[in-house]
Amino acid sequence: MLKSWKLKEVVLVSVLSVVFAVVYLLFVHIGNLWAGLIGPIAYEWIFGIWFIVSIISAYIIRKPGAAFISEVMAATIEMLIGNAIGPRIILVGIVQGLGAEAVFAMTGYRRYELWVLMLAGFGSAVTSFVYTYFMSGFAMLEPGYVATMFGLRAISGMVIAGIGGKLLSDLLLKTGSLRGYAISRSGNVHG
Amino acid sequence: MSLHDMNPTVKFVTLTLIMFGLALFYNPRTPLVIIVGTLLIQLVATDVSWKKWGMFLIPFLITAIGTFWTTLVFGKNLEGETWMTILGQDITDEERRIAVALSLRVLAFTVLSLLFMMTTDSKRFVMSLMQQAKLSPTIAYSALVGFRFIPLLQRELQQLQYAHQLRGVPFNTKWERLRHVPKLLLPLLAGSIRRAERIAFSMEARGFTSGKRTIYDKVEVKSSDFVWSGVLLTLFGIAIWAGI
Repeated sequence: MLKSWKLKEVVLVSVLSVVFAVVYLLFVHIGNLWAGLIGPIAYEWIFGIWFIVSIISAYIIRKPGAAFISEVMAATIEMLIGNAIGPRIILVGIVQGLGAEAVFAMTGYRRYELWVLMLAGFGSAVTSFVYTYFMSGFAMLEPGYVATMFGLRAISGMVIAGIGGKLLSDLLLKTGSLRGYAISRSGNVHG
Repeated sequence: MSLHDMNPTVKFVTLTLIMFGLALFYNPRTPLVIIVGTLLIQLVATDVSWKKWGMFLIPFLITAIGTFWTTLVFGKNLEGETWMTILGQDITDEERRIAVALSLRVLAFTVLSLLFMMTTDSKRFVMSLMQQAKLSPTIAYSALVGFRFIPLLQRELQQLQYAHQLRGVPFNTKWERLRHVPKLLLPLLAGSIRRAERIAFSMEARGFTSGKRTIYDKVEVKSSDFVWSGVLLTLFGIAIWAGI
């Protein structure tokens, strides 16, 4: 998978992972504040935040593995800097990364329009929800409530990760710091 | 023989297996035994700071409480004696049992995770993943670069704040500072991306390649690692038995 990658792309992914690991951790705390009051559903509407590094990395580098590797690395770094979810967070990263990666793989790593990015955010929402369903015992909750949770997570994945990830990357492109990465050769740019 | 010396990859795999296993059980006793057992192991075989441990635990206590009442209110209806009535909804003994089980599960996960976190050195973990779990060295070293990047990021964030302050952004109260953070994200990212490129070039200039490499910092698997693995899995066995 890494054969086609340049070292600077791997380092870029790891640096993006670090920045977003800090952001992720911040949002874990924000989610936690809510969760005591309104239960685990507190996390659902902000869940897309935790998929965003996949979308941004894949959109910038446009190579197989970008979505997956970045998410796993962000999760690992998040654990190292103090997310007490601990080793489990790496599994969460793997699961979320696979969801987005699968969508990019389905397009043959050739298409990076908005709808693909939104679909990738949706992909992460699906895989991560399957994981949470199993680990948190959602089988014991009312199906209607579980469906609401999933709906919120799916929308959050598409909007925050998909649309938000694209907006942020496009802004970064305009700063000129992404010259030398696939995104700046994609043709639809003006930066 | 302390848990701090256990091979990080073996520790990771063992604890992850137990956590996955735990998700299969819906009785309160299994997670409870795991919590008590893990705390005993932590007491005997580690020298973690319990104060720090407590600080990490607090947010998860909140999550556990949230899980408890969510399961009570939004849980599936189960047959049984009525335990109490909330908002006109009858809650049976069986429903309460499930709610206790799921919130204890949250705590059991947390206790196991903290055992790993507080007894594992980050660098040694990455090195061990590279040597035992065949993680690509390019990724391993890039991750370590990223990890070392954190203090730099803090300094850069500070500088960006000063720069914005000079241009008249008010930073007097904590709230003003916090509210402005999203606006710092973009320049922070742009600067980091440029720096990442320079780091990659300097790694290459120093001869870093993705080819075969020799290892100075060896992390090995010893027989005591399997003893520890056995102890932890035995605890899980006892927990399953206690739940039957």
